[in-house]
Amino acid sequence: MIIPTGFTIWVVIKILIIIFLAIYVIFSLVLIRQVQLMTKTLEIGFEKQLQFFSFIHFLFAIGVLAFAIIIL
Amino acid sequence: MPDIFVSHKKTVPAKKTFEEPKRVLYKDLPSQVHNPLSSIVYCPENLRFETMDRDEKVILFLRKHWITNLGWILMFLILVATPSLVFLTSILDGVPSNFRFVFMLIWYLISIAYFLESFLTWFFNVYIVTDERIIDIDFYNLIYKEISDANIDKIQDVTFKMGGVVRTLFNYGDVLVQTASEVPNFEFLAVPYPDRVVKVLQDLRIEEQQEAIEGRVR
Repeated sequence: MIIPTGFTIWVVIKILIIIFLAIYVIFSLVLIRQVQLMTKTLEIGFEKQLQFFSFIHFLFAIGVLAFAIIIL
Repeated sequence: MPDIFVSHKKTVPAKKTFEEPKRVLYKDLPSQVHNPLSSIVYCPENLRFETMDRDEKVILFLRKHWITNLGWILMFLILVATPSLVFLTSILDGVPSNFRFVFMLIWYLISIAYFLESFLTWFFNVYIVTDERIIDIDFYNLIYKEISDANIDKIQDVTFKMGGVVRTLFNYGDVLVQTASEVPNFEFLAVPYPDRVVKVLQDLRIEEQQEAIEGRVR
């Protein structure tokens, strides 16, 4: 006998995870914009490194989202 | 005939007829190539900010002492170590392995976001003293920033507070600047060497008053 409840729970969790990660990707985009604005307001000589880190963070977020869609 | 006794003339130091010129702290300090992670820099060469005038010179650049970051750095390290500790226990045994892996990735994403936000907040909340004004740049969150400034001649009172074991040990404290401008109080919080900051502000005020007397107001 198949118990549908267990199956449904993991599907719901998968959808919630994907929604969360999609929101996180938007957050990482906002972070890139924030770093751009901050470095425009104050030029200290560390702008390129900060922009690089924020971009890597964005790529990591996209990677995790894609990975979650594939693996789950 | 040789002298039996010759009295030595006492040499009395001549009275100073003029006062030594007063040392102006910030002018004695050499220009520094700006280390971007430094908490205090005198006369930084490569610093620019949004509302800076062309002929304005930055005298002092300040942000919170690096030791104030210790709390969030420790928190970040705990966050990074947590998944390893959780996987050692049997809490997540009932969770499928693919979900477990994604949960771990999400946890690390959140940890990185926490690190970045904390670092950016420390890095970009700065105080700048130029030869004309003091500027307080605050980034409260992702999308809200506040830049307030006051002319040096509007400064009415400068005090600094230093107390506690950590602050005394690492020599940092709060400098409170009362002004007659729209923003009544500037608070330079947890800045290194608050005594030097106060001295620089005092020198600048005196210089500004001198300029006003001589009619050299820009």
